[in-house]
This record gives sequence, C-alpha cells and structure tokens, in this order.
Amino acid sequence: MESTVKDKAPVDGRKKRRAHDSSLYKNEHRVAFLMILPPVIGFLIFTLFPAAYAVFASFTDWNGIGQMNWVGLRNFQVMLTDNYFWKSLWNTFFMMIGIPIGLILSFILASALSRGLKGTTFFRTIYYIPVISSLAAIAIMWQWAYNGDYGLVNQVLALVGIKGPNWLQNVHTVKPAIVAMSVWKGLGYSMLLYLAAIQSVPQTFYEAAELDGANSWQKFKNITWPMCKPVTFFLVITNIIGGSQLFTEVNIMTPTGGSEFSSATIVWYIWQKAFKNFQMGYASAMSIILGIIIFIVTALQFYQNRRSDYKLG
Amino acid sequence: MSKFIHKVMLGAMALLSVGLLASCGSKSTGSANGKHQLTFMFRGGDAEKKAYGEAIKAYEKAHKDVSVKIIMTSADNYATKLQAAISGNKTPDVFYVEQNNLMAYADNGVLRDISKDVKDSKVDLNNIWKYGVDSYRYDGKQVGKGDLYALPKDVGPFALGYNKTMFEKNNIPLPDKDKAYTWEEFVKVAQKLTKDTNGDGKIDQYGTGFNVVWSLPALAWSNGADWINKDKTKVTVNTPKFAHALQEFADLQNKYHTTPSVKESQSLDTYQRWMQGQLAFFPVGPWDLPTYSKLKFDYDLIPWPTMSTGKPAAYVGSLGIGVSKKTKYGKDAADLAIYLSTNRKAQQILVDNMIQIPTLKDMANKWANEKDHGKPENRQEFLDIVEKYGRGLPGATTYNAEWYDMFYTDIQPVLDGKKTAAQFVKEEQPKMQSKLDAANQQKKTAEATAGK
Repeated sequence: MESTVKDKAPVDGRKKRRAHDSSLYKNEHRVAFLMILPPVIGFLIFTLFPAAYAVFASFTDWNGIGQMNWVGLRNFQVMLTDNYFWKSLWNTFFMMIGIPIGLILSFILASALSRGLKGTTFFRTIYYIPVISSLAAIAIMWQWAYNGDYGLVNQVLALVGIKGPNWLQNVHTVKPAIVAMSVWKGLGYSMLLYLAAIQSVPQTFYEAAELDGANSWQKFKNITWPMCKPVTFFLVITNIIGGSQLFTEVNIMTPTGGSEFSSATIVWYIWQKAFKNFQMGYASAMSIILGIIIFIVTALQFYQNRRSDYKLG
Repeated sequence: MSKFIHKVMLGAMALLSVGLLASCGSKSTGSANGKHQLTFMFRGGDAEKKAYGEAIKAYEKAHKDVSVKIIMTSADNYATKLQAAISGNKTPDVFYVEQNNLMAYADNGVLRDISKDVKDSKVDLNNIWKYGVDSYRYDGKQVGKGDLYALPKDVGPFALGYNKTMFEKNNIPLPDKDKAYTWEEFVKVAQKLTKDTNGDGKIDQYGTGFNVVWSLPALAWSNGADWINKDKTKVTVNTPKFAHALQEFADLQNKYHTTPSVKESQSLDTYQRWMQGQLAFFPVGPWDLPTYSKLKFDYDLIPWPTMSTGKPAAYVGSLGIGVSKKTKYGKDAADLAIYLSTNRKAQQILVDNMIQIPTLKDMANKWANEKDHGKPENRQEFLDIVEKYGRGLPGATTYNAEWYDMFYTDIQPVLDGKKTAAQFVKEEQPKMQSKLDAANQQKKTAEATAGK
C-alpha cells in the first residue's frame, strides 16, 4: 500500500495538489485521522486537561471539594519555607541512589547470563518474578522482612553475629532499606533489557577486536558498553521519572512518612496534603514544581545523550 | 477537506459531551426498573464486607422500591477515593464519614443536614451513644453541637487488656475492673511481669508494649493534660503535666524497661508478642475481638491506669454514615443511613459478625451482660469508655489533623530516650501551633465561602 502511494508520488507542485484531491489520498487520510483520533482525545481529556487544571489549581486555595479562590503565588511562597517540602524533596533524590546501583547490578547480571551458562532461563525467570509481582504485596512482604525483631533480614544478619537495626523505624536506615527493596524489584526488568542489548551486539565486532589484540576490558569498554548505551539512556530516563514519583512502597512500609519524616517522598507529601489535609491547591503547586524538575532533568539527559551520540557507520 | 474535519470534530465533540453528561448523571443511577438505586460507599476488610452485605440485603428486603449498589474500598484507599468521587461530582448517596472530615464536608456542601430526617424517623437519639451522635453535630463553628450531618456507624472504645493467664501463672493478684491501677501500681506490676521465663538470659516476657499514638492520650488526659484548648485555637502540649505523662510513657521503655526497646521491637512486634502471650498489657478495641477470640490464653479488660487526676481516660473513635447533599433521593438515602446506624435488625447482624459493639445503648447493655459470651468477660469496660470516660482524638475535631500528626512524626527521639519530654514539647509547640493556625485559617476561608 505504502509503496504504491510512494510510486505515484508526483514531483511538481501542481500534480501534487491533484494527488491530494485523489480519492485514495483522501480516503487514506480519513482513515489515518480516525485512527489517531482516540489517543488524541484521550490525551486531551486525561492528560492535558487535568494538567492544565492542576496549573490553575496551584494558584488557588482549593481544598479539593469546595470553591476555588485565587491566591496568586502564595502556594509557591509557602513552599519556600515549608520544611517538609524540602525534606521530602531531599528524601526523593536520596532514594535515587538506587538507580545507578540497580543499573550496575543488572548489567553485571545480564553479562553473566549472556554467557550461555547452564540454567540461564531459570535465573532469567527468577530475576524477573519481582517485576511482575504486585508492588503492594512486595512492599508488605519486605516490611515483614525488615521487622526489627522477627524480620528475616535481621535474622540472617544475626547468623553472622550482626545485630541489625530496626530498619523502618530508624531515621538512618529507612531510606537505604526502601532503596534496597526498589533495586531488588527493578533488577529483572533492567537485566532483561541489557540482556537483549548485549546479545544483539554483532559478533563480528568482537572478532575484529580480537584480531587487533584487544583484551576483555577493552572489548567491554569499547564495544559492549557503548552498544548498550541506548538501553542505559532509556533506563536512566524512565528510572528518574519513576523515582521522582516514588509513593506506594513508602506509603505501605512507613504509613506516616517515617519517624521524623525520614522516608516521606515528594509524591507522598503531595498526596498527604491533597487527600488528608484538604490542601489540593498547595498540593497542585508542589506537583507543578515536581513536574518542572523532572522536565529539566530529563531535558539535560537528552542533551547530554545527543552530544555523545554516534551512529554505526 | 476542512469541512470533513469539521464534521468529524463535531461528531467527536457530541459523542464526548454525551459521554461526559452520562457519566455525571449516573451518580444516582436513576430509577432502573422502577426502583430507586442508591450507592453506598464504605471501607473495611472481608468481615465488614460480609456484615454490611447482609445488612444491606435486609434493608432491600424491607424496602422493595430501593436497591443499593455497594462500593467498597480498603481502609487505606477510602479517603482518597471518596474525595476523588466528591470532586468529580459523583458523590455516593450514602457513605462513611471520618470524624475529622465532618467540618470540611459540611462547610462545602457535601453532606446533607439529616436532622429533620432523623426527627421524622422517630429514632430515639437518647438510646444511641451520646459521643457517637455528638461527633456528627456541627453548628458551623465547632463539632459537638448543632445540626446532625451523619449518624455513628459505630463507636470504637480503646480499652486496656491484660493477659489473665500470665497473671495467674505469676501469682499476681488480678487487677480490679472497677478500680483502676494508679500509674505507680501499674508500673510495678509491669516490672514484675517483665522477665526471662526460660532461663536463657534474654527477657522474653514484657509488661507493656504500647503504640504511642493510641495509648499516650489515655495517660495525658488522666494527668489533666491535653493537646489543644477547648476553643481549638491553642496547642497546649507545652505544660509540665503533659511533659510528665509523655516522659512516663517513654520511661516504660527507657527507665522501667517493661517495654521492649525499639531495637528489639516495633509496634507490629508488640502486637505479635501480645498474640503469643508474651505481653502482660495490651490495648483492645472491639474490632480485635474476632481475632482475640482465638488467643491461647485468657484475657480481660480493665480501665487504663490513672495519673494525677485519679480518673482513668481512654481514646474512643467513631466513624459516621452520612448522606450526600446532592443525592437525587434524599429521603431514601437518609433512611438507609438511619437504618444502618440504628435499626435493631441491622445492628444485630453487625454485632453477630463481631465487627463492632451496638450503637444502641439498650442493645449494648444486653450484649455486655450476655451469659457465657466468652472472652473478654468484662465487655462492660467498652461501654464505660464510650459512656463515661472516653474522648475523641484531638486531631478529629480540627479542620485538618496536620498539627496533631506532626507531634507523632517528630516523637521518636523521645521514645528512644534521646530527648526529654519537656524539651520535646517545648520545641514542638510552636511548630504545631503554626499548623493549627493554618488549619483554622483554612476553616475561616471555608466558612466565608459557605456563607456566600
């Protein structure tokens, strides 16, 4: 179909216009239009409209159920001096430490699994199970594992003579504990993508490198890692966006935001304000700021990636 | 071409608006096959689902012209889903109202004033727990008096339980259910019961293991202290009496050592310990009864220990059933709420399912004095709390509970013994006060809006 259209593609302008008038052209455009209509309408209703609404709400004192009163920039001013806002923002970024850790671990795992050892399929499945499990169920399970007294984690630590802390109640350990869980949960997904990337590197590259006398570190550094770059880029972007929106784990494992607000993330705080304390306007203002932060970070990433991009010649 | 796009767009818009209108209009789904359909939104677990399912069936049987559509959520999701439904203009006809949302819902025209419906129904309000009814009265300024905006779905007294078997094993005289321990007596007993029972050098039986959120109020109140003044304008935690109560609570762990330290335990653990018979005292609510009926030891209820006022205190909660102001079938909806809250048959179903104590006083008295009802023997303690000495949580009657939640967010250093209670309340009061001021300001704005 496509080729026929292309074949008939006219060269000069007059003919082109005539082609636009052809019934086939019209028909195809009509169909195309109808095809893209549902997602466009969906986007307008479920994304653009709520987003615009939130922007508007962020300038009001809306409590979520009543009337909106315009308050100008007050919400944003309040935010500047709101310690909980800054603390939750800090907590959110702190927990992103899990992203590089997860990527490195999954890359190592993927490299190991790509060597065609026995049991590859088995381990691939094992590592992938947390990915398909319900996050809520996993969070509850880990909550038990982290239990200071009966928890699995501390029991294992006790075997080697370490007295583990009460992970989720301790201001210093609660964030690392949640990070560890998130890494564990996300490992399988990143690993699978890396595995696909590693396996699709043409063997000829390695053969050529070997002929030139490259050692395995050089092969890794100059072939495998660069060839996996698009996957790394994709994972970094999606993980940062996902990490900024961390909520479920925190809400289940530390329902009050942790002692001294030590595990509250920005989305948890936004939710708290919006749905517990009748401050939808303020919550909207915080989500606008969060949105802007995510946008800037992602834009930087894209910029960085484009600068160091290269094409296979 | 443009004509065509125009047509399609028009068509799409038409479809869209029809869809939107349809979804908005479906809040009272209308009279399908001649019946008025009401939606009832509530929360809970399997036990509640079963109990309320039965009660609703009984209602439908008695009211042939009404059918009820049940929307149920988990306890965690309820507030979020309800608020989303309200702001989406799809408020359920009848729904659970959390105490601390009453003012906001009433001010913003979410809840129907059901005073007249209740009056017309001839329900004897004197036979319903005063605390339960008053929790849903609101005069536009304060909760506790004025028009009725909901009826109690239940009242939840938080009594103190003790492990009877453990007392007997250790030859300690059983506590008197009519005369509360003084704080000093209580600590002494708890210390006696904290010990290593199997001789491995590790303590495996503790006196106490209370969660601060639910237990501290009993001590603070009994010591004549409170979080907030009567007008709900001032945070009053920075007093010697308050600090003393909090310090004693923290000392259970750090000085008297009757509570396993945070290193050894967290709230979930103490619950497990109690269930395994390793704790002497533990709070008990009516919702615990089904689970605790399977305990391997005998337990009973007593009043909380008393501090300087010499009178016991306890926390009592409540959840209400309210009616949407915008419902199409106001009378039917109010009738359903009244039925679930006060109808004898409905109450019997709920009580038989062991999910709550009766909201009707006479039924509750009968329930407390039933013969051979199994443990706990002293069911009466629940009723005493509701009727005589229980109080609502301070955060439940302010516009939002942010100021109160903050207290517990910051409290850990005190529990760990890293900060004295006196120092903590001194630092905390101004922070809480600013949040309370903000909540009161929010309330004023809402009032002004409601007046328009």
